[in-house]
Amino acid sequence: MRQSMEPQQGPGVLRTIRWGQWGPCLALVVMCLGFALAEPRFATLDNIGVISDRCAIPLILSVGMTFVVLQGAIDLSVEGVMAASSLAVAMLVLNSRTGLDLGLFGMALAVLAGASIGLLNGLLVTRLGVPAFMATLGVWSVAMGAAMLLSGGQPPLIRDPALRAFGLGRTFSLPNLTIVALLVLALGFVLQNYTRFGRYSVAIGGSESLARQAGLPIDRCKVQAFALCGLLAGLGGTLESVRIGLGHVDIGVGQMFTTVTAVVIGGTSLSGGRGGVVQSAVGALMLAVLANGMIFVGISPTIQKAVQGAILLAVSLIATWQLRDRLRSVK
Amino acid sequence: MKRAQDIGKAIMRNTPMEQRRAAGMARFSGCVALILAAGTVSAAPPCQKSEIRLVNSMREIAQPYHGNLDKGGRMYAKWAGLESHYVLQLNLGDSDKQVSLMRGLLAVNPKCTIFNVEPNADVVIKPMVDVANRSGAWIVTHWAHGEGLHPFDGNDQWVAHVAVDSTDAGVAISRRLVDAIGGKGGIVALQGRLDTDPARKRFAGLQQVLKEHPRVKLLDQQAANWDRTAAFPIVQTWLVKYHGEIAAIWAANDDMALGALEALRAAGLAGKIPIVGVDGIPEAVEAIGKGEMTATVSSDAYYQGSIGLAMGVCVLTGQVPLPKFWPRERREFYLRLQVITKDNAMQNRGDPQASAYAQEWDCANLWSRSKGPAS
Repeated sequence: MRQSMEPQQGPGVLRTIRWGQWGPCLALVVMCLGFALAEPRFATLDNIGVISDRCAIPLILSVGMTFVVLQGAIDLSVEGVMAASSLAVAMLVLNSRTGLDLGLFGMALAVLAGASIGLLNGLLVTRLGVPAFMATLGVWSVAMGAAMLLSGGQPPLIRDPALRAFGLGRTFSLPNLTIVALLVLALGFVLQNYTRFGRYSVAIGGSESLARQAGLPIDRCKVQAFALCGLLAGLGGTLESVRIGLGHVDIGVGQMFTTVTAVVIGGTSLSGGRGGVVQSAVGALMLAVLANGMIFVGISPTIQKAVQGAILLAVSLIATWQLRDRLRSVK
Repeated sequence: MKRAQDIGKAIMRNTPMEQRRAAGMARFSGCVALILAAGTVSAAPPCQKSEIRLVNSMREIAQPYHGNLDKGGRMYAKWAGLESHYVLQLNLGDSDKQVSLMRGLLAVNPKCTIFNVEPNADVVIKPMVDVANRSGAWIVTHWAHGEGLHPFDGNDQWVAHVAVDSTDAGVAISRRLVDAIGGKGGIVALQGRLDTDPARKRFAGLQQVLKEHPRVKLLDQQAANWDRTAAFPIVQTWLVKYHGEIAAIWAANDDMALGALEALRAAGLAGKIPIVGVDGIPEAVEAIGKGEMTATVSSDAYYQGSIGLAMGVCVLTGQVPLPKFWPRERREFYLRLQVITKDNAMQNRGDPQASAYAQEWDCANLWSRSKGPAS
């Protein structure tokens, strides 16, 4: 059976060094240079701190999403999971609504809530055979509804001073959330390159039927990927809540689209089997630089959306140009 | 005749300023009563109290503003002894759903159903009014509607439109902001979703005030889509770009103002740079009390969530004439807004009691917060 796949390559770190994967990096550098030339204040250490802070949550989310997309699936429940974990954390730590004060343990519980929603996604897809698109869309609504119920028109305010200080604070002039995001990225890198889960994920995305014939534990991998994605979405929602100071249903608004964009623009193929967490991180960084840079060079808010779209299109065109002549199905 | 007595009572209760108008109203509705008595078999109220249904139709209840709309509605229903007749419809940001939810409920007993509508978008008001006109249900709308549409243009089921003058809100907070920085310095503005009417008009209010104060300079404005988490990184970026130049932050709603506040907090500037917002949500009021925000302006969600229901009940129980006989300025008027600053922040904290609104729900005082005709 002939597959229109890319040539099979040996496993290992070496395969990450290919020209095609440097496209997005190059685009990122060009973008930074452009903004810095147009507005010198863009290229200051302070602004790098601001960009890294803006990038932290999307980066965490996109690491989780990368594994799901690598396997050729998608998780649309991110915003719902963020909302649910946001309300959960805000009601478990010292807050304005409940008498609880669980501190870090409360945060952990909220992240676990995210993981269990992700687990539910995985089970719906593998055990009940619901397509990932529909399953996660449904779970999005359910999680959103649960969050709304918890909120009840009175978003709980987080009053734990230590958590708030962590959310807003910096360590060695790096925002704390950025440090967490970098740890998550490192974890994702190890998972992807040095564990069976990571390699199987690439194989499943490349060709699920081949992977099945090879006897890989496909269902288990899928459940793990969805659970990880849920866990990181939960972490994202929790951290955003701690930073902004309340549990809110809209805490993740727009993040699903940002995350998928970051993953895809970084070079991970939506049809699966190609890409990785580092590429997604580059994608997330690109979006943060773009949003930040547009404010710096003074692009009018009325046309920012259009400019953002145009730049993203140009970047993805440049980044994937060398793949144009291959026999590749584009989805 | 009961109606005439009620109107008589209304005159007793009213201030001298309003007496003349009310007296005119009494004469007017006296005529109406005569016409009704002559033209119909009986002058009984349009509905029995047990038949009346109260519906609050709004976006969602996760935001404090919407939560308070609902609370206001429930508070009124309880006060009026109609607690079990209260229905809440949430469209979750879907305009079509707001109309279809309405249509669905009107399958039974439309003529005794009153809708108090927080429109998901301006354009949703027209179809909802059409549904009311066709089915005989009653509708009161809030905020803003499409151009050239008025309750008094033959829309007899459209009881009233309670408009909010967003330009006025923008002006009110901008004045406080300019005062707070002594009439000079650089400011930045966080706008709402740019394609919405309140966003445009609140910003127009700011521009109006800026024209009066040439020494206040608008350094930059960005759209944060009413969203707290979107406002946060924008303000962080500004703090780097305009390092030391920002004297104050203007926000088109409280959520964005509070996002800005957290960005200031992260930079150790909370309470040092004045911020203003719009809506009067509890957190903003708290921040004003603490001196971390300067001012906000409120349309009073509790009032908006209840006044339409009160109007409907007054009509359906025959305590006021049918809306088609009301003068124009009672069918479409601007709501008086409340500016909240440090001086009155304490009074505006927490949920109010029904007693605070009882007088305004009274059929004789339904228009006590009118600021004049809206057009």
